[in-house]
Amino acid sequence: MRRWASLQPDNFATGNKLKEKTIRYTLGVGALLAPIFVVLMLAHICQQAWPAISEIGFGLLDPAGRWQPLSVNPAYSLLPALAGTLYVSLLAVLLSVPLGLGCALFLHFYTGKRLAAAMMLLVDLLAGVPSVIFGFLGLMVIVRGFETGFSMTAGECVLAAAVLLAIMLLPYVVSTCGESIADARARWLPAAASLGSSKEYCIRKVILPGIRPGVLSSALTAFGRALGETMAVMMVIGNSAVYPKLFGRAQTIAGLTALEVGSAEYGSLHLSAIYAANLILLLLLGVVWLMARLIKKRMEG
Amino acid sequence: MKLFDKLLIRILLVGCALLVVGVTVGVNLYVFGQGGTFLSPAFFLENPGGIPVGTAGGVFPAIVGTLYLGVLSAGMGGSLALAGALYLVFYCRNKWLCSVIQGAVHCLSGFPSILFGLTGYTLLVYSFGLPRSLMTASITIAALIFPFIFIRMQKLLRERYLPVMTASLSLGVGRGHCLCRLILPDVWPQLVAAVLLGMSYGMGAAAPVIYTGAVTYAGVPDSVWKPFMSLPYHLYLLVSDGISIQYAYGTACVLILLLLAINLLCRLPGWLRGRERV
Repeated sequence: MRRWASLQPDNFATGNKLKEKTIRYTLGVGALLAPIFVVLMLAHICQQAWPAISEIGFGLLDPAGRWQPLSVNPAYSLLPALAGTLYVSLLAVLLSVPLGLGCALFLHFYTGKRLAAAMMLLVDLLAGVPSVIFGFLGLMVIVRGFETGFSMTAGECVLAAAVLLAIMLLPYVVSTCGESIADARARWLPAAASLGSSKEYCIRKVILPGIRPGVLSSALTAFGRALGETMAVMMVIGNSAVYPKLFGRAQTIAGLTALEVGSAEYGSLHLSAIYAANLILLLLLGVVWLMARLIKKRMEG
Repeated sequence: MKLFDKLLIRILLVGCALLVVGVTVGVNLYVFGQGGTFLSPAFFLENPGGIPVGTAGGVFPAIVGTLYLGVLSAGMGGSLALAGALYLVFYCRNKWLCSVIQGAVHCLSGFPSILFGLTGYTLLVYSFGLPRSLMTASITIAALIFPFIFIRMQKLLRERYLPVMTASLSLGVGRGHCLCRLILPDVWPQLVAAVLLGMSYGMGAAAPVIYTGAVTYAGVPDSVWKPFMSLPYHLYLLVSDGISIQYAYGTACVLILLLLAINLLCRLPGWLRGRERV
């Protein structure tokens, strides 16, 4: 009876204004925290990176330079690490997108709903595995495999990191490509089927061209994730600040950060240069994100 | 289209799917295969021992430390994300403010995890003078999982409960009343699931806690301002310093089991009610 009584309209019109306002403003605080976090972090990063940018300037991007922050004549060129980051991420995306796309196509065209759900559950579980475990397994399986299979003295290399990273990106690629495939399927499969075309023909001539923007935007966001991946890549790439080769050691910006922050003194040029590296990484992420968004907008519009 | 082409496409697609699922199952099975025999009650319940630390004993403080970290950061990040998502979906009517909040959340979710560790380290430890401790690491992880939880909650609320809010507003029912009496009682299991999912994500992250509070050896922390042991960081140390591969497999096993249990737990309400996953 009380519950019914509280649903009287005049109760809302008059009595609960204070309560409503309290709820509104309490929730508002949580929402405003997100912009505050972002501004705080960005401002802090820029502030910390500023000494390196003003003192080293273009030395940070010197193509002939090296990353030797602890030597007598310190050099702070970030280009090797930047090249390593881009190389590994690009390779990983190139490996994982075709596989993920194939898997998503299979799930949406050749399985029943139950089997597809079960397989998605498994793939989702892969997404929940922490990156340290991936790094550990990569070291035990992929790196060791390279050592015995290609008789390398040390299996830590760009390719090993790229394979590992590709596996880590798979769940993401499968689920995002799956979304565009489900859309395209609902839109075009009935028409294609009623014209008498086979499933395979429809996939090749209708679905694949139709989902191209979706796949591209999924590949770009996967690329963005790959750029920032830290632990797993760091554990298998060897961490030498040299220009990357497919079977050679390299370093990524995230790996460099995780390894060297502990040994860099607070307020030193070294730490500041690490911040500058992360600022560059963020700019890169911003560009990738904007491109993915533009493609998505064009796709919808 | 020729029969050969059709067969080729089929074989390619099946191959892709088998590879993906095989890798998934393989990763989990491999860890259990290598580390499963190593698990014993002692491994769960003893402190790490030996010289160097980690070559004997168990991982008890690391399990408890990781759980503490998860609960603290999920409490902070989860409640803030809940408040933010509710505000953005049901209250925010200023378009400019909406897009600022939305943009900020997407921005945060795109930040690499190491960036949270880096800023957590210099900002919290040096600028704000907090000790390297469980609390500092939890704040860092809370910031990491905040956008993760926020986006899931927002999607859930917007898709299923915006019509409920519209209907009650048109009947003259206040927003807060509708929220407390109609929406929250119905949606809370899924909200809890989103928080748990974020918690398991945060518990597995090693990069943000390296410099904000995780250490090589510590007992079970008796205060939130003490350093702690974290399972992922412990695993990383065992592997990268080459301390003990056997113990590393055991630790990886414990970590996967812990996260798997949480993952299954947060799917449970969905299954019981026969609804979609978060």
